[in-house]
Amino acid sequence: MIRILTAALFLAASPALGDHKPGHDHHGDDAATKSPDGGDSAAATPAAAGAPTAAMSNLNEAIAAGGELIVADVLGVVCDFCATAMNKTFAKRAEVAATYVDLDTKTLSIVTKPGEALDDETITKLVTKAGYKVAAIRRGEAALEPSHGAAKDATDDAAAH
Amino acid sequence: MARLFCAVCIAFSGLSAAAKAAGPVSYADGVTLIEETDRESTSLAVHYTLNPHFALGYRTEWDRRNDVLLNGARATALLKRWYGENYQANAYLSLDVGVANGVGPNPSNAAPYIGAVFMADWETRRWFASYMAHAYEAFDAGSNIAHMARVGVAPYVADTGALHTWLMVEVDHRPDNPNEIDITPLVRFFKGDVLFEAGWSIRSNQPLVNLIYRF
Repeated sequence: MIRILTAALFLAASPALGDHKPGHDHHGDDAATKSPDGGDSAAATPAAAGAPTAAMSNLNEAIAAGGELIVADVLGVVCDFCATAMNKTFAKRAEVAATYVDLDTKTLSIVTKPGEALDDETITKLVTKAGYKVAAIRRGEAALEPSHGAAKDATDDAAAH
Repeated sequence: MARLFCAVCIAFSGLSAAAKAAGPVSYADGVTLIEETDRESTSLAVHYTLNPHFALGYRTEWDRRNDVLLNGARATALLKRWYGENYQANAYLSLDVGVANGVGPNPSNAAPYIGAVFMADWETRRWFASYMAHAYEAFDAGSNIAHMARVGVAPYVADTGALHTWLMVEVDHRPDNPNEIDITPLVRFFKGDVLFEAGWSIRSNQPLVNLIYRF
């Protein structure tokens, strides 16, 4: 049993598990890259130069292709399961070209496909469907501004839904 | 049955703070595979999340101490989620129903069982605390009750998609076990869709191995 545990620990810590998966849209499985200002500007991150990860590249490519960048400040984002939930939920939408969840700034960046739109109500519903809560949604120049963090704490009484 | 009632009472009394690493409720249409091995039992479960507040699953558990095999359905409700800028907290309630069989030295034939689990957790990217109480009553086949609390710290705060590492300590109380209280130091690795935990109980000298995969 000890040998099995040791092997499992070794595998889990193996650098090979850190390999990126280029070309996989909608997955938060690429390490986030700090933005030039030190990491507090996730909203600016998608369009920032020097964002080498696959997910970021996908965002930049989608923006370059004419998609709209939308940034949602999300409450309760603390782990990769949170990122997975939102990435997979939004990946099912035909309007969405790419997404990225930044745990540092608690933001969900969405880029739509060219000519497609995603309104605030739909984004809020999808984030809720993923199990989280939107604090703010920013578009245009505001989407490129540094995140100010989620506006406030909130509770969600399941019975109310 | 009295033990089951007692467990539910303990759970709802809120004696301890907060859950487990990741409950079976995920995002709508998400599927979660959970394997758990602790000093008394080993279980495997698959859960389908109908909506962000409710999941249904199938679970099989081998209660090694009582030599009981449980096979049944589990319904889990996210009772409440607290959202913060830098934290998340959750309270879950699961109810089980199924068939229990004695295995090995336990001669019991198939019997119905019911069970209940209360879980609550609070976590930031650096700190983690959880509480869980669970119990089942399988009548002639056996019964079990346990509750546990856990605290953890992440030695470094990992970015999205990176390998997250947590160092944790779990304290569990199992009134029917010769070692009523045990302490299990463990390490958690978390990356993308996979969460893996490994530890060892100090007094019972048994492994803890948990694996969660979200599809």
